[in-house]
Amino acid sequence: MNMEIFDYLKEMAVQHGPSGHEYEVAEWFRQKFEPLCDSVIIDRVYNVIACKKATIPTRDGSPAPRVMLAAHQDEIALMVSDILPDGTLRMGNVGGVDPRILPASTVTVHAREAKGGYQKLLGVVGALPPHLMSAADGNRNYQREELFVDLGLPAEEVRELVQIGDLITLNGPATKLLNDRCASKTMDDRACVAVLLEAAERLQRMGHMCDIYFVATSQEEVSCAGATVAAYTIEPDLGVALDVSHATLPSSRPDTTIPLDAPAVTVGPYLQHKLVNRMRDTARAHGIKLNAEIAARYTWTDTDAMQISRCGVPMVLIDVPLKYMHTSVELLDTNVIRESGRLLAHFLNELDEGWDSELWS
Amino acid sequence: MELKTICELPGISGREEPVRMAIYAECVQKLGSENVTIDRMGNVIAHKAGRDATAPHVMLAAHMDEVGLMVLSATEEGLLRVCAIGGIDSRVLVSKRVKVGYGEDALNGVIGAMAIHQQTAEDRKHVLPISQLYVDIGAKDKAEAEAKAPAGTPIVFDTPYTPFGDHKVLVKALDDRVACYNLLRLLDCDVKGDTDFVFTCQEEVGSRGADGAAFRIHPDIGIALEGTSANDVGDVPETARVCTLGKGVAVSFMDRASIAQPELFRQMLQTAEEAGVPHQVKLAVAGGNDSGPMQRARSGARTCVLSVPCRYIHSPSTICDLRDVEAQYQLAKAFLEK
Amino acid sequence: MFELIQQLTNVYGATGRETGVADLIETLLKDKVDSIRRDAMGNLICEKKGSDPNGKRIMLSAHMDHIGFIVAAVEKEGFLRVAPVGGVSVDASRTRHVRFANGVQGVIVQQPVKEGETPAMKHLFIDIGAADEAEALSMIQLGDIALYAPDCFRLGQYRVASPAMDDRVACALQVAVMQELGETRDTVIAVFSTQEEVGCRGAKTAAYSVEPDIGIALDVTCNGDTPETKLPAVKLGEGAAVKIMDRGSISNPELVRDLLAAGERAGVKTQREVLPFGGTDASAIQLSRGGVIAGTVSIPCRYVHSACEVIDLRDVQAAKELLKAYLK
Repeated sequence: MNMEIFDYLKEMAVQHGPSGHEYEVAEWFRQKFEPLCDSVIIDRVYNVIACKKATIPTRDGSPAPRVMLAAHQDEIALMVSDILPDGTLRMGNVGGVDPRILPASTVTVHAREAKGGYQKLLGVVGALPPHLMSAADGNRNYQREELFVDLGLPAEEVRELVQIGDLITLNGPATKLLNDRCASKTMDDRACVAVLLEAAERLQRMGHMCDIYFVATSQEEVSCAGATVAAYTIEPDLGVALDVSHATLPSSRPDTTIPLDAPAVTVGPYLQHKLVNRMRDTARAHGIKLNAEIAARYTWTDTDAMQISRCGVPMVLIDVPLKYMHTSVELLDTNVIRESGRLLAHFLNELDEGWDSELWS
Repeated sequence: MELKTICELPGISGREEPVRMAIYAECVQKLGSENVTIDRMGNVIAHKAGRDATAPHVMLAAHMDEVGLMVLSATEEGLLRVCAIGGIDSRVLVSKRVKVGYGEDALNGVIGAMAIHQQTAEDRKHVLPISQLYVDIGAKDKAEAEAKAPAGTPIVFDTPYTPFGDHKVLVKALDDRVACYNLLRLLDCDVKGDTDFVFTCQEEVGSRGADGAAFRIHPDIGIALEGTSANDVGDVPETARVCTLGKGVAVSFMDRASIAQPELFRQMLQTAEEAGVPHQVKLAVAGGNDSGPMQRARSGARTCVLSVPCRYIHSPSTICDLRDVEAQYQLAKAFLEK
Repeated sequence: MFELIQQLTNVYGATGRETGVADLIETLLKDKVDSIRRDAMGNLICEKKGSDPNGKRIMLSAHMDHIGFIVAAVEKEGFLRVAPVGGVSVDASRTRHVRFANGVQGVIVQQPVKEGETPAMKHLFIDIGAADEAEALSMIQLGDIALYAPDCFRLGQYRVASPAMDDRVACALQVAVMQELGETRDTVIAVFSTQEEVGCRGAKTAAYSVEPDIGIALDVTCNGDTPETKLPAVKLGEGAAVKIMDRGSISNPELVRDLLAAGERAGVKTQREVLPFGGTDASAIQLSRGGVIAGTVSIPCRYVHSACEVIDLRDVQAAKELLKAYLK
């Protein structure tokens, strides 16, 4: 990647793109993929589909395998669901914002939401001060309907600027921590789109026999709509989804989390085990640390939609470990982005026409 | 000093030194070093002689400290375990940014908890206690965390000063830097009686600084300048709002620390009326402050509390209205000059 | 409009048993559109060609099916045990009058529950007046579906109550739009869909075969304007609601803007709807093939999924004018 990864994540994190409203972040990613690919389109549901055609012909003249790589660009957010008489806003969820983070959080209300023009208003999610709270109050989590956004503006002015349905995004600028670690909003899953860009960059210098479709998908957080329709359009022979996964914390069970310092590959029925092994072999051959994660059924990623597109798509899922998912301090190790990109580039570089000869044997 | 500067300085209870030194410097600059002392507790006391020797001796108090966190220990994974310094509802902590340590060496940190996906439905009903929240500075392991942020390291919220809505500001620590800001401005006024301007410490852990200062000064009148809770948004009934932003300085008849001396309370409202200062009566008996120690030190004093209404106090995002800040200043000034 | 709603709500049409409704609609529209066909799911697909061969294909979808109770077992004493088809509520169903496709009538009753137990579907039974199992089975079969008995009456000047308002009011709306539409540049395909209440199954296959560029579901939505109900911020009588999101889909933001603009052009009242639950055919249409620009125009409706769903005729009128303005 040209830019230092941190600076890149920082810029990426502030691009507006709640689920179903990815037009702004999609345009940003389109510009990033353009110099690295042969063609880039934004489709009807705001997927960014960047195609890089094979640079090496297959030896037997067969068509180049089509590989779809998917990482989602949408961010979890909130939406104005009602405006109270005094001008405070009630909110609904767009994707799974962790409600525990909301009290006393600052947020941005995108007033007059419409493509191309809106005003950003600073808001705070109210929280009762401890002085005014009973012991019982303090022991239960807030219900979402008890929480509201305060804009600090007179009610008439709020009503003039804000409409039901306006989007509310979390504020969480990228914060640099020790050891190349970084905390920010929207690392889920734009960090994985960064992996795609890292791989695309490396592939400028490495040949590949497959047609590669880099897809920044939309609406993963609500329905996987983006991956569903993109897979239909692309008709891939195989797919690689990239998403974040929970990293180890003191209170977490070790079998449900992965270490923060290396990517992982998911093993389970939705993932094609030969391709998973191929990914592991690639990692080993290039000295890339790759942990494993188990998914007994759903992976809760774009994988679940892509696998059953049209006639079916064999899948691999790469996990980028992340702490504090669905908050405004999603924390990861930026070296993992580089290593994941390197892994993906080698995997694509080594994929040849014989990739499916022994898939199910 | 600008409100922005004084709010952004770090200073949890007992570790107010950055705030103290800044305030001390300004007091010395305005009144001369002979009139400014830092007492044994760490309070800054600035003395100004009055023009009328028979007028009552007034003590004004604003506290320098803010609520925050302190490092307890580090986990094997390099996360910091912390405790709250002052009253903090743990629900406001998750997913917030903090500064660990003071000054040049301060580190960025974020407050994390186990992801909600990994909690059981039952767990989700309960508030995560602070013992299950971690400050993450990115340390790789326990040794690195302990080296960078040893036990006892102070932590403050990292919320920069930002204009908010109309006439309002959003920043950490408005309770009680907003009053420190006003108290520094009041140093310039033409006081009638002898006046001690006291910047107290450790208010948030039991008004401990004001205890010693009030004992030393033993004023006739004690006035606490505070930032107090406004619960004035959403569908909260009018009667439960405590006080309202933009309606002026809040005068308390009673809180958990003291009952305002009735004559002084009336006098304060009258002064506001005469001087045309926007004011409101605080409509709740809640919160404690430095008025308690001032009222009850030695043989006692007449006390009253003047507050700037603040939303979401003791959270990372406190909000006040600049017009109320001005009103607090104007009312205190009118009172001191009269 | 009231007569049309009355006509459509009085027809039997359980989820998966929508033929009667489709037959009626076919007679209402057969002279107004270019083609009418039915697919394997029972969807009624009425296409009206646009004047521009390069015009868009716009699919409207209103669902014909109505939630009900499917007979799963018969007690020795002749009582019917039922399972839900779609989201029927136990609370709204106690001691209700129900009717089967063949005209057999019954009442739904809840048996006593143990202390602390929450009443559930398993505690309900239907009494059809049969003395025993044999008599019951001579009247109905296992797998027959009982619906809240048809009813449709006015409340005050503008409002109408019926158990089948969800979604026959939108069927009526869609019929009226197609009848009054006249010539358009784009091709309009009115789909009367099936099995919406069990997961938008009809709309899924219809969208695949119709291959629309744009899909608009027409459905009812809930209101937050009755005592102790706060969400959503939609009010009866305040106009057509343009959905911004619900649990099932996020409407395409540009389509939302265009629909609201059409409402403005038509001079009708509109409301912006954010529903924290629920879903419409738009959720299925959006995901079809390579993706479809999708959204929903809603008719505010009180007491959805009860035997007295209430709408306001002025809102239906507003929705009709909005859609006509949009499609023109």
